[in-house]
Amino acid sequence: MAQDSVDLSCDYQFWMQKLSVWDQASTLETQQDTCLHLAQFQEFLRKMYEALKEMDSNTVIERFPTIGQLLAKACWNPFILAYDESQKILIWCLCCLINKEPQNSGQSKLNYWIQGLLSHILSALRFDKEVALFTQGLGYAPIDYYPGLLKNMVLSLASELRENHLNGFNTQRRMAPERVASLSRVCVPLITLPDVDPLVEALLICHGHEPQEILQQEFFEAVNEAILLKKISLPVSAVVCLWLRHLPSLEKTMLHLFEKLISSERNCLRRIECFIKDSLLSQAACHPAIFRVVDEIFRCALLETDGAPEVIATIQVFTQCFVEALEKENKQLQFTLKTYFPYTSPSLATVLLQDPQGIPQGQWLQTLKHISELLRKAVEDQTHGSCRGPFESWFLFIHFGGWAEMAAEQLLMSAAEPPTAVLWLLAFYYGPCDGRQQRTQTMVQVKAVLGHLRAMCRSTTLSAKDLQTAAGQGTDTDPRAPAQQLIRHLLLNFLLWAPRGHMIARDAITLGPDWFLMSCGD
Amino acid sequence: MESLLQHLDRFSELLAVSRTTHVSTWDPATVRRALQWARYLRHIHQRFGRHGRIRMALERRLHNHWRQEGGFGRGLVPGLANFQALGRCDVLLTLRLLENRALGDAARHHLLQQLFPGPGVPDADEETLQESLASLARRRSAVHLLRFNGYRENPNLQEDSLMKTQAELLLERLQEVGKAEAEGPTRFLSSLWERLPKNNFLKVIAVALLQPPLSPRPQEELEPGIHKTHGEGSQALVHWLLGNSEVFAAFCRALPVGLLTLVTSRHPALSPVYLGLLTDWGQRLHYDLQKGIWVGTEPQDVPWEELHDRFLSLCQAPSPLKDEVLTSLETCKAQDGDFEVPGLSIWTDLLLALRSGAFRKKQILGFSPDLSSV
Repeated sequence: MAQDSVDLSCDYQFWMQKLSVWDQASTLETQQDTCLHLAQFQEFLRKMYEALKEMDSNTVIERFPTIGQLLAKACWNPFILAYDESQKILIWCLCCLINKEPQNSGQSKLNYWIQGLLSHILSALRFDKEVALFTQGLGYAPIDYYPGLLKNMVLSLASELRENHLNGFNTQRRMAPERVASLSRVCVPLITLPDVDPLVEALLICHGHEPQEILQQEFFEAVNEAILLKKISLPVSAVVCLWLRHLPSLEKTMLHLFEKLISSERNCLRRIECFIKDSLLSQAACHPAIFRVVDEIFRCALLETDGAPEVIATIQVFTQCFVEALEKENKQLQFTLKTYFPYTSPSLATVLLQDPQGIPQGQWLQTLKHISELLRKAVEDQTHGSCRGPFESWFLFIHFGGWAEMAAEQLLMSAAEPPTAVLWLLAFYYGPCDGRQQRTQTMVQVKAVLGHLRAMCRSTTLSAKDLQTAAGQGTDTDPRAPAQQLIRHLLLNFLLWAPRGHMIARDAITLGPDWFLMSCGD
Repeated sequence: MESLLQHLDRFSELLAVSRTTHVSTWDPATVRRALQWARYLRHIHQRFGRHGRIRMALERRLHNHWRQEGGFGRGLVPGLANFQALGRCDVLLTLRLLENRALGDAARHHLLQQLFPGPGVPDADEETLQESLASLARRRSAVHLLRFNGYRENPNLQEDSLMKTQAELLLERLQEVGKAEAEGPTRFLSSLWERLPKNNFLKVIAVALLQPPLSPRPQEELEPGIHKTHGEGSQALVHWLLGNSEVFAAFCRALPVGLLTLVTSRHPALSPVYLGLLTDWGQRLHYDLQKGIWVGTEPQDVPWEELHDRFLSLCQAPSPLKDEVLTSLETCKAQDGDFEVPGLSIWTDLLLALRSGAFRKKQILGFSPDLSSV
């Protein structure tokens, strides 16, 4: 407690000084500085209230003799009054100062003065005299007309911005950049007030005709923060504009997504999908610039984590949502595939973008072979020097999880010899960095396992032990080796899809939890 | 039902008293009771918003009060003027009490405690009084910030947000008064004319007359049957203007020319009176041979330039009005003797000026002039 009160005293001095400098926040600098500190000041007010409510009004004056001044300065700063709950907390603090039974004229005067401040916050008219007289004359109280007035002002400003955006060459009706900048500053404390949404939207979407960015940095940050905390709801078009105009906001949204994914216990695919759609990233990614940035961040994450399956899963869900959003746009791709995927050939991208579900089973093999061919060409035709090529091809491939699934199913279902192309595809999926020899070895291993599994399918008795034997064929004991990962994937599929697989599933789980549960997936 | 109405009566009295020095006799218990009554009425508003009969009965009672207090002619509007006000009666009461310096220390302290209990008092259904007051304070700051950091008066008055808000309020009030009493609006407007700054009032009237007809607002009106249109309010305004020649003369002189033309196009009932006024003004001017211009005798006479501008603006209005104006000018010209030579009849000169103005405009813009019939 003692430490708290020391902290409070220090903070008190700091804020007293700040408030004195800010005064009524009428200049550019004071407004910007106020905006930067709004959240912290509100926290301070809360702490102050917690301390004040424990004391009676005389103790308060003893402890903080200049508290009245501090609160008054805060009351006269319209940015502070407009922010979130600051006006409420200020009122609470002021109420703590009121003396229930004033003993002398000094205390009475203090009461009177505090009443004045409360009045100022709640009901003093700081408005046009004529308007005030008119509304009073009609018998309306501020509570009656302020919401309507605010709405009219917001809509009028929003339509002025829109007109400015469309009528660039008509200099008469142009909005001066300073005015637009000023509006954006003023919106910072008001972001979470729903009445102001149309104005925020207009500011984001209408970017006038100046070559450089006019809107204030604090504005973008405040909007993005509000979006992440779900305190404002804006249409996707406005969010796209935000991210295009202010890259740090997009980056912050991606980081926020990662944080959410990391901090929640077990992420099923559905939950990942929820997070992604909520964040509006997949919808916004229909704009290539945003897609490229998001993809780049995913690429970095993948490289940093050495291809962690969780990151791959996220990328796959993201891509699925993205493709869904693209289709919902209901028009032909405005942008060519090359704008989204510049590092790979358009033919490969086109093939991979198809919906695996839409392909009839009879054509699976053909499609998989085609994909395998294209990938193999892209990978093996690269000169030894450039290492970007294979990685990019693989990176593109793993965006679309459906193909690896299809390949695994194809291998298990077909009674014939597993086709080399499909084996290669899966080996590549799990081991992109493998050299030719290594990959061939993997393919051989997997072929053997498949042989065993086919035998198991034909046999009448089936046990989990058989499965274990089949799995144990590999010479590699490193569970993260590509071969092992692939084998696990096939075994899992076997248990799920093979006619009698589910019969031994339970046994299989009890028998070998380690190697079995290490397979990535849902 | 009767007890509810009595409750309403008592609360209306309470609200009226809350502004007077009588509150110095109030103790904390009185304050607590008053707040409870307010909360009860607010609950009534919530509960019976969709209930046509009860709502109407309550509203009728409130209108009766209004009438009894001196009616619409006195221009004093009571705190509770309609059913909707019940939804805000607690805020109305508390703000009046807070602003009233006569309230004793103990009572005030108790009031503040009740209003602002602090954090962690969540109310399940309704917004608490604390939240309403805080949100009002926030909105006021918002308006203040926008007003002084981005707002600019719109040269088209009818699109200016301050003007529009005042106009909307006026129309709303007029509609209500009209519902309460048939002759209400006229008396109400006359009393407003006496009390309010005239210039602003006239501008608000003009903007009100130009408001588009409203569709029913879904979020505000709880009962679907009531359509908030601006029709009745506008009609009341026109009726009043037509019945008050001095007001109408002031109306026409005070407003920007273009705005007046728009108003006249929108409300054809006004055009004969406006034209009549213009005719009167025109007839007061005489031709000064030495200076070669039309001048007035009194300083308050409308000068030639203004007269010309007004007619010019009217001739640029869409068809029914434009034709009416030209016909009127022609008639006046004919009555004066149908001269073609300038300097003899102001109407001839006006028509000549308008025609040549149109001709010059044609030369500049390359369009055929509108005044082909002139």
